[in-house]
Amino acid sequence: MSRISLKLVGASGQGINSVGAVLAKGVKRAGYCVFAYREYPSLIKGGHASYQLDISNERLCSSETTVNALITLNHHGLERNIEDLKSGGILLHVTPHWNFPACHQALIRSRALKVIYLPLDELLAQLGATAVNANVLVAAYLWSLLNLGIEALKSLVAAKFSKKKGLLDLNMRCIEAGFALVPPEVKKSAFALPAPNAEFAAHLLITGSQAMGLGAIHAGVRFYAGYPITPSSPLLSFIAELQDQTHMVVKQAEDEITAAQMVSGAMYMGTRALTATSGAGLDLMAETVSLNAMIENPTVFVLAQRPGPATGLPTWTAQADLLQAVNIGHGEFARCVLSVSDSQDAFDLLPVAFNLAELYQICVLVLTEKQIAEALFTQAPYDQENAEIDRGKLLTERSSLAAVKPWDRFDPEAKQGISARWLPGSEAPTYCAQGDEHDAGGHVDEAGANAQAQLEKRMRKQQTLKAQIPQPQLTVAGPRGPTLTSLDADDPLDLLVVSWGSTSGVIRDILGSEELRSRRIAHLHFTYLWPLRTERLQHLVERAQRTVLVEQNFQGQLGMLIRMECGLNIADKILKYDGRPFFYDELLSLLREQLALNGIHGSHSASATIGASP
Amino acid sequence: MTAPAILSEYRSRTLCTWCDACGNYGIWTAAKTALAELGLHPWQVCLCFDIGCNGNGSDKIEGYRFHGLHGRVIPFAAGAKLANMNVPVIAFGGDGATFSEGVGHLVHGLRSNYPITFVLHNNANYGLTTGQATSLTWQGQAMNTSPNGMPERTLASMEFIFSLNPTFVARGFSGDIKLMTRILKAAIQHRGFAFIDMLQACPSYNHFATHQYLSDRYFDANADGHNPNDLAQAKLLATQTEERIACGLLYQSQDVPNFYERLVARQGMETTCVEEVRKYNVSQLWADLT
Repeated sequence: MSRISLKLVGASGQGINSVGAVLAKGVKRAGYCVFAYREYPSLIKGGHASYQLDISNERLCSSETTVNALITLNHHGLERNIEDLKSGGILLHVTPHWNFPACHQALIRSRALKVIYLPLDELLAQLGATAVNANVLVAAYLWSLLNLGIEALKSLVAAKFSKKKGLLDLNMRCIEAGFALVPPEVKKSAFALPAPNAEFAAHLLITGSQAMGLGAIHAGVRFYAGYPITPSSPLLSFIAELQDQTHMVVKQAEDEITAAQMVSGAMYMGTRALTATSGAGLDLMAETVSLNAMIENPTVFVLAQRPGPATGLPTWTAQADLLQAVNIGHGEFARCVLSVSDSQDAFDLLPVAFNLAELYQICVLVLTEKQIAEALFTQAPYDQENAEIDRGKLLTERSSLAAVKPWDRFDPEAKQGISARWLPGSEAPTYCAQGDEHDAGGHVDEAGANAQAQLEKRMRKQQTLKAQIPQPQLTVAGPRGPTLTSLDADDPLDLLVVSWGSTSGVIRDILGSEELRSRRIAHLHFTYLWPLRTERLQHLVERAQRTVLVEQNFQGQLGMLIRMECGLNIADKILKYDGRPFFYDELLSLLREQLALNGIHGSHSASATIGASP
Repeated sequence: MTAPAILSEYRSRTLCTWCDACGNYGIWTAAKTALAELGLHPWQVCLCFDIGCNGNGSDKIEGYRFHGLHGRVIPFAAGAKLANMNVPVIAFGGDGATFSEGVGHLVHGLRSNYPITFVLHNNANYGLTTGQATSLTWQGQAMNTSPNGMPERTLASMEFIFSLNPTFVARGFSGDIKLMTRILKAAIQHRGFAFIDMLQACPSYNHFATHQYLSDRYFDANADGHNPNDLAQAKLLATQTEERIACGLLYQSQDVPNFYERLVARQGMETTCVEEVRKYNVSQLWADLT
């Protein structure tokens, strides 16, 4: 796969997001797969932020640590990011009279970097424009460097400023000026974009949060309550922005406890309701999760992970709340934990989560990560036919309601522990959704035999669920959409990679690389994290010369769960917990090291941690 | 045609577990009577209970009920109501839960003007945990865990409520079932958030505001000619309780839209969220993302 990348850096609030978003959309429309990755500090103005686009004509879902072009909108970028450039890369900056220190001059020579100064202020003055228009000018310059057609950019910008005629004309002049600025010799040598793939032109450019929002609406969610906390807030914002089209009830609650309680009340009443949170917000929601377990109220909670503890790194990424999700809430109860991996299953898993919640009358926690929530994915339009709405043992027909008895609601003898459920307002015998231990009709009952029977009823749902959820997904190294047929039953595997969450994208890109596509590498990716099914893993481990766990946390939390469930200890781990995602080149080199250890006698554990000092 | 509702439909097979002479008996009776007199069958209503002695009534009455967590009943009830506007939702909570652990929910319940009824079981102590002081206990009272008397000031609950621009404030006394029934019926029919302060005897742990104390001082302000549209007078009656305690419907404004009515996205919708659960085609919603 040939890939190129460019990175915009500047202060938060300088507009790198708007330039990045316009470029990403334009490049995608030209027929490329784009993956956009944002880094930014937890503040509104100032600080140092970046927006990186990785581009290919094949499917790509990862970022590299180094880029082909760096665009710095202030001098901090010149100081901090020049080392991010690949050999032969382009450095575009707007800082007048900048003197590169000796070390950077040496770097420019050794890597043969092309340094271009864009006299932004002068250009804007000539055009009668102000700093507000700088972004369009920069975007036009980059557009020209990428050899994209000017009309496409004009139509993108026109769509944005359609209601502001004066601003629109000025922006059009900026686009033309920006385009004309690139000297032909620079243009010729700048970027070698591979041949486009028209398929991508019609794709969506979407964040994981937007994908989840669409998935939730698709799943019939009619009520959303949330409290702002990064990185779950973009989902709340997206749902809120669409409310006049979806006609949903949207509530910004006074705290996470309220959000959790409101959606629980709405689910009890019988609609589909959703909330999302991050970090400390989930701690606050924990008591409500436990309550819903006792009253067997189906609920879905989204957890957008970020590094902790405490406020931690609120705008960075992690996979460090897996054990928290799996163990959330006081008392013993059945629950289901899923994790999305990319923009496809961020959509697909929302209907699944609501179906599981209603089928089993349990809480389903859907994990995502800042990396998924805020990265932009190039995504094929979502299928609108396949998903089903399955509300389980919900009784709505007059005839079934007429036959129901109050003690059917929490009948401890119910098959698989799943009893009938009917809604307030239904003409039927009533019951109490009782938070105290209760009998079949919801009356408080503290008798030992009853407590045991009810606990066993609720836990039986977990056993049933475990038998019915899918095994982790298996893929193998190979070009474009690896197939399992190459995984012959008898041959040993060079390497088995075990992962969950956002790492799937970067691992998939790596296993499709020229270097590794012909190796016998299997990738086992867990979407269903609790209950945890380990049969397929245990089978594959037997066949693999080496198994490595890839996670973005300190403890190897999936590894801990695996060990707890089946005793298997995956000793080799690649762990990262510095708030940054795994980058393509970084993880490729770590997997290469794992492969190099094959065949070495008495092979020692080869765990690696990244980001922190060794 | 459904038969008219009668009181006995609300009768539960479960025996009450409250102490003899507990104010909950009166409130419980008034609640059942109000619902039946409004012609509501148990299957038509949703009753939400907080934790505490009031919550121990969750299985002593019929109706679709919920018994949740300490302090959290208001947001759960609000979520339930907003999901199905056709079902009357009544939430019950004690003064401990409502003015301590869940005080934030009370504030936002009032300012949101959710279309629900909230009944404060006000016995000025944590009864179910055996008589600790709440923020509504009189300062200086010796209570469980404060043997030298509660050192904190008593929260001026009615000043607090009126500072939040309520649209319905009523006060009842657990010894007057007729009066409680009247204000409960008005509350259930109110447009927005109806707050009822039910002064309640707790013979086991409240030895200051006893049944006798309350009985000697309470009066029906409406019978005395109080007009619930009179906000200034309502505040005075609500807050001045040393000599006499005004009960009845103290304040009501039907002019303020409730939370649901203020949701622009729901204007013109004739269905409830509960009725709208189905698969939606979202391809129109991603038009801006291509």
